[in-house]
Amino acid sequence: MAKPPQQRPIQRGATRQSLSNSRQSAWGAPSFDFKLYLRQHQAFLIESFTRLLGHPLASLMTVMVLAISLSLPGGLFVLLKNVQSVTDRWEQQSVISLYLFSNLEDTEALSLSHQLSSRADVESVEYISKEEGLRYFEQSSGYEQIMSTLPENPLPIVLKVIPKAIVDLNTLPELQSLRDHLQSLPQVEYAQLDAEWLQRLATMINFGQRFVYAISALLVIAVLLIVGNTIRMAVESRRDEVLVMKLVGATNSYIRRPFLYMGFWFGVLGGVFACICIMILAWWVSTPAERLIELYHAGFELQSFNAVEIIMCLTISAFIGVIGSWIAVSRHIRDIELQ
Amino acid sequence: MEIEFQRVGKKYESGHDALSQVSFHLQQGEMAFLTGHSGAGKSTLMKLIMMIERQTTGKILVDGVDLRTLAKSVIPYHRRRVGVVFQNHQLLFDRSVFHNVALPLQVSGADDEQTGKRVRAALDKVGLLGKEKLNPMALSGGEQQRIGIARAVVNKPQLLLADEPTGNLDPRLSAEIMNLFQEFNRVGVTVLVASHDLALVARMRHRVLTLNQGRMVNDGGFA
Repeated sequence: MAKPPQQRPIQRGATRQSLSNSRQSAWGAPSFDFKLYLRQHQAFLIESFTRLLGHPLASLMTVMVLAISLSLPGGLFVLLKNVQSVTDRWEQQSVISLYLFSNLEDTEALSLSHQLSSRADVESVEYISKEEGLRYFEQSSGYEQIMSTLPENPLPIVLKVIPKAIVDLNTLPELQSLRDHLQSLPQVEYAQLDAEWLQRLATMINFGQRFVYAISALLVIAVLLIVGNTIRMAVESRRDEVLVMKLVGATNSYIRRPFLYMGFWFGVLGGVFACICIMILAWWVSTPAERLIELYHAGFELQSFNAVEIIMCLTISAFIGVIGSWIAVSRHIRDIELQ
Repeated sequence: MEIEFQRVGKKYESGHDALSQVSFHLQQGEMAFLTGHSGAGKSTLMKLIMMIERQTTGKILVDGVDLRTLAKSVIPYHRRRVGVVFQNHQLLFDRSVFHNVALPLQVSGADDEQTGKRVRAALDKVGLLGKEKLNPMALSGGEQQRIGIARAVVNKPQLLLADEPTGNLDPRLSAEIMNLFQEFNRVGVTVLVASHDLALVARMRHRVLTLNQGRMVNDGGFA
């Protein structure tokens, strides 16, 4: 029943109109509709979650593998945080000992001492003359005999500078720069900051941080691979659906979406279980850890994840889940072509 | 939708010439049959229109637009304007009849109310209105075929392509399905049906295109 040719233009006009009704221009993408976009996303969010529940055992296993992979860097993070908080509260006065040049006159040394004690970052300066120094030395070292054989007192004048800042990991750089400054004074032969243990600890924490970063990076890659592989299998098991969707005009991004949400859920659920694991672990070690620390220092309380860190953990794990599934799905959906 | 083939050839990578020098012009609102032995190139011709395959030579114009000039990203939107009943790519058995038919609407972003209305209208047209909640698995072969047709027309396509839609059906069901296509054609949809059931095709009294080993050997008159 072919229509007469002269009717064609009218027909085509009518067709265009019916197309615009279905939000679709003749040869291109429909204009962007934000409400529609939100509605579709919401539907996919729910649909992909119910799909996970459809295979509870398989989903749980994947989620637990993710949780374990995520809880290791998370746990190390908590450990590091606690070490830092212990040292932060290790209130101890630090001392910078200045050994002055031995040819320096007493008056010059005294004026330096006054000058330093007026500095804003210095609490006080203790002046130890050569004689006092000798007395200390004789008392403490037991080298009385040897010292008495020396023709003259070999000890320099020492200024003990007590900085205002209490020494801890945060103030350490400040104290170190103060020491460097004092070292650069012309009267000072050698300046020593009495915080070697802290410097060592700082180095160790720095090492620990890098270690945690490296482990985290490896495990993030592991999580990406696990999510990627799971999603790849999910795409494969829904191959027929993908083909039919392509046939009826689904865009690749539309086909991708439920799988991305699946990755999102894997990430979030993995993150939730990881947080639970870490909190249980922190609770379990808290009593012995607190007892141990109290031997050195009173008032320590083991810190677990706080609310901000939990949210951060979940955000990061959700993000990793989406990225992992993105990598798998965008490759795979392109490969599934109609034939 | 208007389809024009100008000396179209399709050579597969294996070297097999599926189509060569095929030319025809299908007018807006026309209905035609495509016949030929299996392997004559009927499916290939339909895949070219759907942009599932690309021709190696010649030109295909759809509403005057050369398909070769279309970017890959607009293929989905082209496919939304065409309803297809293909033998493979049939129904999904993990969802109800309703959701099978609703798929093209979901893909193009229709809202629930519109979807419900259109799906029921399409199911009504193929006589399966009462079975929307069933799984397609529970339906007979003829009924499954009709679900496929409902899915093809639910989005009000401008062109309906059917590849052996009456494949394994008895003559009475086949005639029913052909009548359905005729009804869609009557409301202005361009229809192209590939079939090797020559007797049935002859009874329908429409234009017949015949392919033989990839060449168009007959165009026009009834078979």
